Amino acid sequence: MSTRKLSLSALLFIVIYVIQEAFVTQLHIAGGGFSLFLIFALLWAALSAPDVGALTGFAAGLLIDLSQSTSGAVGQWTFVLILVGFGISYLGLGYENVRMNPFTITFLVTSAVVVARVLYLLLSLLLGENVGNFQSIFTSLLIGALWSAAIVPMTMPLVARAYDFIDDSRSRL
Amino acid sequence: MARGGENRGRLLLIILIITSLFLITLDLRGVSVIGGIRTGTQSALSPVQSFGSTVLSPVRNFFSDVIHLGRTRSEMEALREENGRLLTELRQRRNVDAQLEQLQGALDLAGKAEYKVVSARVISQGATTSFTQSITIDVGARDGVKENMTVINAYGLIGVVKTVYPSSALVSLASDPSFRIGVRVAASQQIGILSGQGTRKGVLQLLDNQSTIKVGDILVARGSVNNRPFVPGVPVGEVTAVDNAAGAVTQTADVRFFANFSAIGIVTVVLKGAEVDPRDALIPKKPEPTPVPTVTVFVTPSGSPSPSADGTE
Repeated sequence: MSTRKLSLSALLFIVIYVIQEAFVTQLHIAGGGFSLFLIFALLWAALSAPDVGALTGFAAGLLIDLSQSTSGAVGQWTFVLILVGFGISYLGLGYENVRMNPFTITFLVTSAVVVARVLYLLLSLLLGENVGNFQSIFTSLLIGALWSAAIVPMTMPLVARAYDFIDDSRSRL
Repeated sequence: MARGGENRGRLLLIILIITSLFLITLDLRGVSVIGGIRTGTQSALSPVQSFGSTVLSPVRNFFSDVIHLGRTRSEMEALREENGRLLTELRQRRNVDAQLEQLQGALDLAGKAEYKVVSARVISQGATTSFTQSITIDVGARDGVKENMTVINAYGLIGVVKTVYPSSALVSLASDPSFRIGVRVAASQQIGILSGQGTRKGVLQLLDNQSTIKVGDILVARGSVNNRPFVPGVPVGEVTAVDNAAGAVTQTADVRFFANFSAIGIVTVVLKGAEVDPRDALIPKKPEPTPVPTVTVFVTPSGSPSPSADGTE
């Protein structure tokens, strides 16, 4: 990975992170809303090779762990997003129809958001944290998935263009 | 060559996973560097969040308002009649008024209890990346806020300060699933533990198996040693349903919190509790129905019939 690609990617991630923390969290969205940064990170990972996907997950997870709205231990989101980032990019590797189909990538990223949150939940349980009742968790996951399914198609073209600009490659979406 | 790339990828994945597990271990062991990094991030983001809060203030409730569109339809129809200038002024005014009303209510409650308080604006709400219910407020260590201080608003308990940064603080809401508070049933003085459930509803468990509660009972905070994390007497909620399950060791009940956690704009942090426990003095008074005046009209019939309006008889 070139220095240019790394620095531009890092800058973009920080900008999206600041937007998430300073603006998206201000909106009183039904059911807790969505995490723009999480969706962006998973979209980015989906467009990348598996090793870059894991690295993307690491960086994104670390930033989420440093957020004031995250109450778990530092490293929890990092661990989860490494696995999910690697997984989502691995699923797309070699299957061009997966990557070239906007519906498939929407489904893939929405599923990844749900999987990431479930993994985080399981890790919280393992670390002895109280996670609440089943109903509130189920509602939160369902609403989060619906919001993600709505947000992914809107952000996908922008993320793909930014990725291509930084990666210096043709758009694959 | 391809095999080498694959091995490098696996090695990177293993290194990253080990690093993340290392970070979790360090944080759980309370290594101050990790906490310092989080505090530094929060300090850097705090001014941007305050800016975002100011900018998004007029449209913050847009998404939740959309859901309750039917409820506000009549209000919207009335507003349509206003001209553009008045509409803009009204929107700005309503936002400021709502904040003022919340602030006034919180200060009234704190004043009645003789708490020493500092008021704060909510600059961020917990995101979907976390299952916890929390808010971030724009006062911190510089304003005298410390961990485990009670946070209230005009209606009662909001939560407790969990983490303090120099110019902001993270507040764990009473609706958080991990939230527990000792409460006292006003009037009957029974005590119990109230747990958050992730919504505005909480679950109360009485400590004494001889005690009974009923729908409509009001709960207030029982208070903690040295008033931290909870000052006594703060209204918490009202019993909405009682579980009378046969065989239960103690009685449990559903409780509706007084505070509406989805519409918090201004809160108050209790820096110092009252010298004397206010007991039940802070419980909100139940609204009394406004009496409808009855008008009685006495008509005395005249002696002769009056002519009709068109002049015919």
